[in-house]
Amino acid sequence: MLLRETITQAIYSLTVNKLRSWLTIMGVAVGVFSIIAVMTALDAIDKSVESGLASLGANTFQIQKNPATTFGSGHSRNLYANRKDITWQQALLFKKSMEATSRNIGFMISSMANQAKYASLTTNPDVTMTGGDENFSASSGYIVASGRNLAESDIRYAKNSVVLGNEVATTLFPSGVNPQNKSIKINGDIYTVAGVFDKKGAAFGQSQDNFVLIPITRYLNHINEKSSVSITVEAISRKDYPLAIDRAIGAMRLARGLTVKDANDFEIRTNESLIDSFRDIQRAIGTGAFIISFMALLTAGVGIMNIMLVSVTERTREIGIRKSVGAPRGVILYQFLFEALFLSLAGGVIGIIAGVATGNVVAFKFNLPPIFPWLWIIISMVVCSGIGMTFGLFPAWKAANLDPVEALRPK
Amino acid sequence: MQSLCKFYEMGDQTVRALDSINLDFRQNDYTAIMGPSGSGKSTLMNILGCLDTPTSGLYELNGQSVAEMDDDELARIRNKEIGFVFQTFNLLPRLNCLRNVELPLIYAGVAPEEREERAAKALVNVGLGDRIKHKPSELSGGQIQRVAIARALINNPSIILADEPTGNLDTATSHDIMNIFGALSDAGNTIILITHEEDIAHYTRRIIRLRDGKIESDERR
Repeated sequence: MLLRETITQAIYSLTVNKLRSWLTIMGVAVGVFSIIAVMTALDAIDKSVESGLASLGANTFQIQKNPATTFGSGHSRNLYANRKDITWQQALLFKKSMEATSRNIGFMISSMANQAKYASLTTNPDVTMTGGDENFSASSGYIVASGRNLAESDIRYAKNSVVLGNEVATTLFPSGVNPQNKSIKINGDIYTVAGVFDKKGAAFGQSQDNFVLIPITRYLNHINEKSSVSITVEAISRKDYPLAIDRAIGAMRLARGLTVKDANDFEIRTNESLIDSFRDIQRAIGTGAFIISFMALLTAGVGIMNIMLVSVTERTREIGIRKSVGAPRGVILYQFLFEALFLSLAGGVIGIIAGVATGNVVAFKFNLPPIFPWLWIIISMVVCSGIGMTFGLFPAWKAANLDPVEALRPK
Repeated sequence: MQSLCKFYEMGDQTVRALDSINLDFRQNDYTAIMGPSGSGKSTLMNILGCLDTPTSGLYELNGQSVAEMDDDELARIRNKEIGFVFQTFNLLPRLNCLRNVELPLIYAGVAPEEREERAAKALVNVGLGDRIKHKPSELSGGQIQRVAIARALINNPSIILADEPTGNLDTATSHDIMNIFGALSDAGNTIILITHEEDIAHYTRRIIRLRDGKIESDERR
C-alpha cells in the first residue's frame, strides 16, 4: 500500500513540472525511437527479401557468369571482367546433361530500359526485356493469365513472339482490348503478343511485372549476341537441392570445356547466398543503429540524472517535511527512483510507438503486413528500466540521505 | 535527558551548542524553551524532535533510548511520538489540507479510507472543517498554522514540538493559536514550545531559559 502511495506521489510530482518532464521523456523517446524504427524497418525488409526470394521459386538456383554483387577491386574484379559469356550452346549442353535430374531448367538474358509501344500508347522507357525459353515462366514463378506462354517452336525458330508482364499489358491495353495476336513495337522492332502473365507483385521494392518476355534465341540473334545466358535450375526436391548444385557445377564445367586444373569461371547463385549478403548489410545497419541508440539513451540517462538532481535540490524542503513526519529513507528513495523510472519508461513507450509506426511506413512501402518487433520492444523496455534505475539511483540516494535538520532550515 | 551535549566542528573550533543539559519532561507538561539566538534552543528542539542525535549523553523518550538510533528508527519515532509545528508552517504547497494532514498516516501505513476520515476529523477539530480541499496558498497564516497543528496531532504523538509557532503571525492570530495549544494541553497533551517572545511563553506552565548551551533557569508556575 505504501508502494502504491509512493508511485502516486512520484507521478504527481512529475505532473507539477510538465515541460521539464516532457523534455526528459523526449530524450529517452528519441533513443528508443531510433532503434525501434530501424529494427522494424529491417524486419520489414527482411520479410520482403524472404518473400522476394521465395517468389524466385523454391529449390531453385541460378548459374551466371558473375556474382550478384562484387566487393573489392583489382584482382578479383579483373577476374570477373575477363570471364567469357555463357553462350547459348553451352547452355543447351548444360541442359542436356542436367535435364534428367532436374525438375526444370530455364534460360534468360535481360536488359533494362526498354520501351514498348502499341498504337498511341507507350510505356515508360524502363521496361526490362527478358530473353527466355519456354521454361522461364515456370522456373521464375510466372503464371500465364491469358493467351499462351512461349512455345518450344518460338525458341527453335527465334520467332518475334512476346509475352507481356502484367504492368506492361495494362499500360498498353488499358480498356479490355484483348492483347493476343496484336502487334506491338519494342525499341522499334515488331513483336506479336502471345499472352499476358499474371500479376506477381514487387520484390526488393521493385515491380516484377514491368517486363516483356521474348524467345531467348531471338534476343541473341537480334538484340545482343554478346550476352551471357543466366540459367535457372529447379531441383527435384529440397533434399536433392545440394546434390543438384554439385551436379550443375559438374555439368557447367563440362559445357564450358574446363580442364581439371581450371577454376570455375561461373557463379552459382542460391537464395541462401543472396540472403547471406543481405544479412551482412542488415547486420551493419543494425549495429550502427544500435550504437547510435545506445549513445542517445546514455545521453538521455544523463539528462534524467541531471533533472532528478535539480529536482532533489528544489524539493529539499519537501524532503525535509516528509522526513520530519516520519518518512523512512527507503520511501524517499523509492519516490525519486520511481520518478526516474517513470520518466524513462514513458520515453520508452513513446519511442516504441513512434518507432513501430515509422518502421511500418517502410513495411507499407514494401507492401508488407504490419510488423511488431516484440524482441526489440521488450529489450527497449528493459533497457529503459535499467537507465531509469541506474541514473535515478544517485539522485534518489542523495534525497533519501538528506539531513532533515539541514533540509528544513529556512533559506 | 542527561548530560546531553551537541558539539559542532567549525573549522578548528568546537562550538558547544548544548553543554551538559539535564532535563525531564513529564506527561502533560506545557513547557516553553526560551533563549536568545545562538543559545542552543533550536539544537535542543532538533534533538527533542529526533531530527538530530546528540554528540554525547542520554535521551530517552518513553523509555526508548533515542541517542543510538539509526535514521530509519528515528523516522519511525518522529512518525509515532512527535508532532511538529514549525514557524514556517512547512506544509507541502502542492497538496491540499487533507493530503497534508494525512501525510504522517501514509508513513504509518494506515489504510486510505481511515486516513481520510481521521485527517478530516483533525481538520474539523482545529476549526477548518470547511477548508479541507483548499491548498495552503489559499489560506491565511493562522489557518495554515492550524492545518500544521492538525497534522502534528494526527498520530496522537507523545510530544507536540512547536518551534516559534507564532513567529510569522500577527498578535491576534498568535493569540488564537496559543488558545488551541492551551486547549490541547488541557486535553492531556505534552507540549514543548520554542519561542523568544515573553508573552507567548507566559501561556505555558513551565519556562526553561537557555544561554550559551546551558540551562539558565527552569521554573514551573
